[in-house]
Amino acid sequence: MNARLIMTLIKKDLTLFTRNQFYFIITIVGLVMYILMYFVMPKTMDETLKLGIYAPGMPAVENSLVSDHGIEAKTFGTIEELREAVMRNEYPAAIALPEDLLSKLATGQKPVVTIYFSSSAPEEMKGAIKALVNQLAYLVTEQQTPLEMRSEVLGPDLLGMQIPWRDRLIPMLAIMILGLEIMSLASLISTEVEQNTVKALLVTPLKLRHLFTAKAILGIGLSFIQVLLFIIVVGGLSHEPLTMMLVLLLGSILVTGLGFLIASLAHDMMGVTSWGMIATITFFIPAIGGMIPGILSGWAKVLPSYHLTDAISRLSNYGATINDIGSHLLIILGWSIAFAVIGITALRRRYT
Amino acid sequence: MNQDTIVVENLSYHYGKILAVDHISFRVARQEILGFLGPNGAGKSTTVKVLTGQLRLQEGRVTLLGMDIAHDIERVQARMGVCFEQPNLYEQMTALENLELFARLFSMKIFDGYALLKKVGLEGREKDRVANYSKGMKQRLMVARSLVNQAEILFLDEPTSGLDPVSADSIRNLILKERERGATVFLTTHDMWEADKLCDRVAFLNQGKIAAIDTPHTLKQQYGQRSLVVEISHDGQLEERTVTLDKAETPDAVRELFSHEKVVTVHSQEATLEDIFLKVTGQRLTL
Repeated sequence: MNARLIMTLIKKDLTLFTRNQFYFIITIVGLVMYILMYFVMPKTMDETLKLGIYAPGMPAVENSLVSDHGIEAKTFGTIEELREAVMRNEYPAAIALPEDLLSKLATGQKPVVTIYFSSSAPEEMKGAIKALVNQLAYLVTEQQTPLEMRSEVLGPDLLGMQIPWRDRLIPMLAIMILGLEIMSLASLISTEVEQNTVKALLVTPLKLRHLFTAKAILGIGLSFIQVLLFIIVVGGLSHEPLTMMLVLLLGSILVTGLGFLIASLAHDMMGVTSWGMIATITFFIPAIGGMIPGILSGWAKVLPSYHLTDAISRLSNYGATINDIGSHLLIILGWSIAFAVIGITALRRRYT
Repeated sequence: MNQDTIVVENLSYHYGKILAVDHISFRVARQEILGFLGPNGAGKSTTVKVLTGQLRLQEGRVTLLGMDIAHDIERVQARMGVCFEQPNLYEQMTALENLELFARLFSMKIFDGYALLKKVGLEGREKDRVANYSKGMKQRLMVARSLVNQAEILFLDEPTSGLDPVSADSIRNLILKERERGATVFLTTHDMWEADKLCDRVAFLNQGKIAAIDTPHTLKQQYGQRSLVVEISHDGQLEERTVTLDKAETPDAVRELFSHEKVVTVHSQEATLEDIFLKVTGQRLTL
């Protein structure tokens, strides 16, 4: 492998990258925006309690809660709607009063009240909600009433591990930085084919292997430097820095592989944009879901970016070690190799 | 030693079931300019692509600079320059950057991009981005790019296409200078006049086969007819008479015209390569 030829190509591609206003601007502006987004998000949590209520035939309950300072309550028509709101993390907690509350109380039985917590609800909320339920029961019956309380966590149980919003954004923003590079790299490759410059390159001592190596190094390098810079600025390297760097490197390899794949599918810039948008949006799904634990369906775990998001999230927010995310690393590596091999094979067929 | 620089033996190339090049053979000597002529779809581009390593050799044998391209294409490519018909330049880079990129790819230790750009008439525009160049300027830059490595073989595909007459002439002079420097030139063109003036030999390619290959002069001798076009004044009207030359009865016919008619103008007329191509292949070169 001729390092000098590869360096010549990388230098050329860097020049073209910086002169492609669209990709250069979205890269630089994007990076600055992501860092800004992180810092403008609240460092501490809002103290106002958002509470969902299911209280069939008990309008007094909502009215009393609305007037209560520090509580933002909303009544739901069905238990399913209530559960979905908690699942979507719109409400960290919700109370479902049984329809037979009053009749059971009247006959001296213990009604069962279900309390739903989202996976991100803080531990201290549990006690507060229980006290609130007792208060509600008193409000309805105007006497001390015996209640059986059952709690259910919707989504992964993260009680007591409350994480500020801006830190939850870290995996998503990192994924977005990486995701944009899919289109940048695909564009650099596709333009080479579209403008036939590749023909001019391949009648020199340069060979396809040099071309692909140069593109891969540039793709991995550009994405890795950007995402690493972001992680450093937001303090994501404070825990397990080497493991985090390894994850980011694998993420960069993954998006480079995807870039090759998109370039092999697209025949022009429109193709790059179309395929690139599909790939990028799909790539972002686990990242968005990762911000809100519990909302991702099982199928999302099939996506390679799920493993990347989860690895970054666990490392930056939950103190995970390399042993905890080892399987993710292997899966990301596997996907990266698969994408790169398919993409390069398809491009090779087109070039020769 | 005047060893043949390009030796092609029984070259064939298929695109699936379509036979694009059909067992062609020819040789090009060092410092020779060979014009490769033929209508669209005749197999010119495919031949050039195989010779330059853009397409893999399927059948036959091609030796360039004494090296078999089936095994040594990378070494051969280091010593050839290719000018493509369609501009394929890095438009967001300057002309100088384009040339310097290729000079580095060819590992040129000494390279003066300014001098090369001056040769093709692009002095003063060296640092302009190619995207801002006109079609003719891009074409001149394409020619310059094919010269960065002081190639021993130049493959030039329509190098003067889209150029104004003055620029086209300067490129033709440049090609002749490259030949003087020692380069062998494989020129693909539709321009019969250019082929006639520039090429030592021309090859007529038709339906994948070489229909004729020789010097323009010999081809004209062999297939063409020289004639005199005489304009005479007859009852106040101008008439045109053609007298075929190189025939036994030619002197009498000329004498007859001059003694009995009022001759206004006389022009000698030579067959063009276009006429010869039509005669040899039964097809017009420019469709």
